[in-house]
Amino acid sequence: MTGLPVVAFVDDEERILRSLRMLFRGKAEVLATTSGGELVEWTRTRRIHVVVSDQRMPGMTGVHVLREVARHSPSTMRILLTGYADLEAVTASVNEGEVYRFVEKPWNGPNLIATVLDAARVAEREFSVPLATTPVSSSSLASAAVNALVLDSAGTVLKAVQEILPETVNLVSAANIEEALERLTVGDYAVIVAVLASADDDIVDAIKQLKRIRPATLVIAVSPLRDSRLAIGLINEGQIFRFLLAPPGRELMRRSLLSALERHAQLRSAPPLLDRHVVHAPTERSDSLSGRLMHYWRRLRDVGSR
Amino acid sequence: MTESESSAAAPPAESPTAEKNSIGVLLRGTRALSPDVSIFAVARLMLADEHSGLLSLPIVRDGRPIGSISRYELMRVFLTPYGRDLYGRRPIETLANRNAVVLAADTPIEEAARLIAERIPSPITEDFILIDTYGHYLGTGVVLDVLRSMDKRLAERGHELERAYARAKSSQLQLVQTEKMASLGQMVAGLVHEINTPLAYVRNNVELTRSALNDAADLVSAYESATKMLFDDSADVPDDQESRMDRLSQLRVTMDSTALADTAALLDDTVHGIEQISTLVGDLKDFSRLDQAGTERADINQLVDSALRIVQHVMRKRHIEIVRHVGEVPLIECAPAQINQVLLNLLSNAAQAIDHDHGRIAVRTQTLGPRVMVVVEDNGKGIAEADLARIFDPFFTTKAIGQGTGLGLAITHQIVQQHKGVIRATSKPGIGTRFMLALPLEAIRKGT
Repeated sequence: MTGLPVVAFVDDEERILRSLRMLFRGKAEVLATTSGGELVEWTRTRRIHVVVSDQRMPGMTGVHVLREVARHSPSTMRILLTGYADLEAVTASVNEGEVYRFVEKPWNGPNLIATVLDAARVAEREFSVPLATTPVSSSSLASAAVNALVLDSAGTVLKAVQEILPETVNLVSAANIEEALERLTVGDYAVIVAVLASADDDIVDAIKQLKRIRPATLVIAVSPLRDSRLAIGLINEGQIFRFLLAPPGRELMRRSLLSALERHAQLRSAPPLLDRHVVHAPTERSDSLSGRLMHYWRRLRDVGSR
Repeated sequence: MTESESSAAAPPAESPTAEKNSIGVLLRGTRALSPDVSIFAVARLMLADEHSGLLSLPIVRDGRPIGSISRYELMRVFLTPYGRDLYGRRPIETLANRNAVVLAADTPIEEAARLIAERIPSPITEDFILIDTYGHYLGTGVVLDVLRSMDKRLAERGHELERAYARAKSSQLQLVQTEKMASLGQMVAGLVHEINTPLAYVRNNVELTRSALNDAADLVSAYESATKMLFDDSADVPDDQESRMDRLSQLRVTMDSTALADTAALLDDTVHGIEQISTLVGDLKDFSRLDQAGTERADINQLVDSALRIVQHVMRKRHIEIVRHVGEVPLIECAPAQINQVLLNLLSNAAQAIDHDHGRIAVRTQTLGPRVMVVVEDNGKGIAEADLARIFDPFFTTKAIGQGTGLGLAITHQIVQQHKGVIRATSKPGIGTRFMLALPLEAIRKGT
């Protein structure tokens, strides 16, 4: 990176902007505005590494701002900084805004700086990669021999995915986490659709661990729990690709799956893009996975990322 | 000749008289008469102490009642000239009232009372007979006992009603509280956001100020050692003089007068943020106060502003413009927490009625004669004419299940009534709704 990264902040409270400007003094070139529209305009006209947006603002919501930024400048990393994490905003931020991280106010100064600078490094790498801006066509999707895994004990989501995915995608199912990990040790997967059962079950931990070993594997989490904490954890520590509430609508599931396959194809063609999918160690319970699953992880690590 | 046929004084084991609410509880084990006993003998029996409370005696054949003989009937015979000599030796059966009231012992008391009132002639000259489910004679019952029992039961009912009323009243209080909490719950999300925003910059600013203070301390000590070098001739010039001077100029770059001014500005923001948090917490405290009776002189404009602060984030999120026009109003004697609830309810209803992007809510206050008026007007979807008459009814709601308790306006209405005030609504579907609240001044203190 030549010079300081460019970080743009949007918040309807001027004092927040003043405070952030001071926090990043000497660490980034800071742009700040109270207008979401102005921020989107900046990302169209100049290279901005990271955008940090408030969620609740008059005019444009944060998710709306991030969605627009993603459209005009996909390499700009997006962070939502919000005072209240309602589930609606959290799910929209990942599904529509494809946020890099979801940070809550009041923030922790050093952590926020670290997160933003990490995001800036990822963006710098992405800016240097000639990105396949044209969407991967469905024909090329069909030609790519990829695997998809559905972890669903009830089988209803599995059935829906079966109907949606083109036949060229090799669909594998697992009824429980052991079975899923067993599959993962022997094959590489483009997409995993995981149906969660509870907020603290092994699947949630497994998703967070998995991303560290297989950053190219995109995870679509289907949750029966309307739990914003769970969603934030999966975004920040699991870099999930989508968070869908169960039962997911067919159209939403279809779009999510196709976007995931498309993104996977991009990732394989341009490995630096993997950077943004790198996650940090879960802040808590990092080694809390039950012992019965440990040998799967050891095997997965030995096989390594493919 | 047997003078009387004995009957069981105690009811049989399978008798339903154990039923608390049946007429069987009033059973008296009166000894029944055999049909062939002479009238003369019956007249003597009537005078016996054991029959003193009875108006009539039952006549039973083969265990089944066939009728009764009343004191009144016997008196008629004996008062007839030569009646005693003419009729005294005839069997009692010849005088029997064959239409005596016979009731099954398991008849509920209310039902029995109704049958007795229907069938026993006035003036009351007879008792009634009780039988078991097979039609066998059990004993007799006295009308007066039925009356006493009914009276006792009515008194019990009264107590029951009183208790039910007390229960209803306390559960109504709970409902009021529930409604208050429900409407507060809808506000919480926004309030948390509203508080976390100032909290975020207050925290960050304090952390930044602390690190600025560290820089300042470093600078001061660097200056001190530099001063010492310059003015203290006895001190040897240290070997690292140059690096010390470098350090000093570095520190002067980070800690210049601009940095100090910036830090001062951060502290100004911090003070502002803390005030904002205090106000929000204060509003919340006002709203959640439970003292129902706590009345005081309050400025309705302040209450309006407090309610507006609580709902402002919802309005902002939904791009609703608030037009506030407060007039000069005197203090009014009221329960501020309750008036707060009323205002909040009207405002959140107004916000919920708006289903488009150019929402506008006008709040006006003014003094009108002996009243303070508050008008809350929205340009939302309005209320259908048929619904308008029912909006203050408890549990009436047009919202989806789980969206509204149907109590908001009912409670609002009740609070306004307790304040001897008036609340009215006018509405045009598709145009908007206007709520007018008028509260009496009562014990006004002039000059706010």
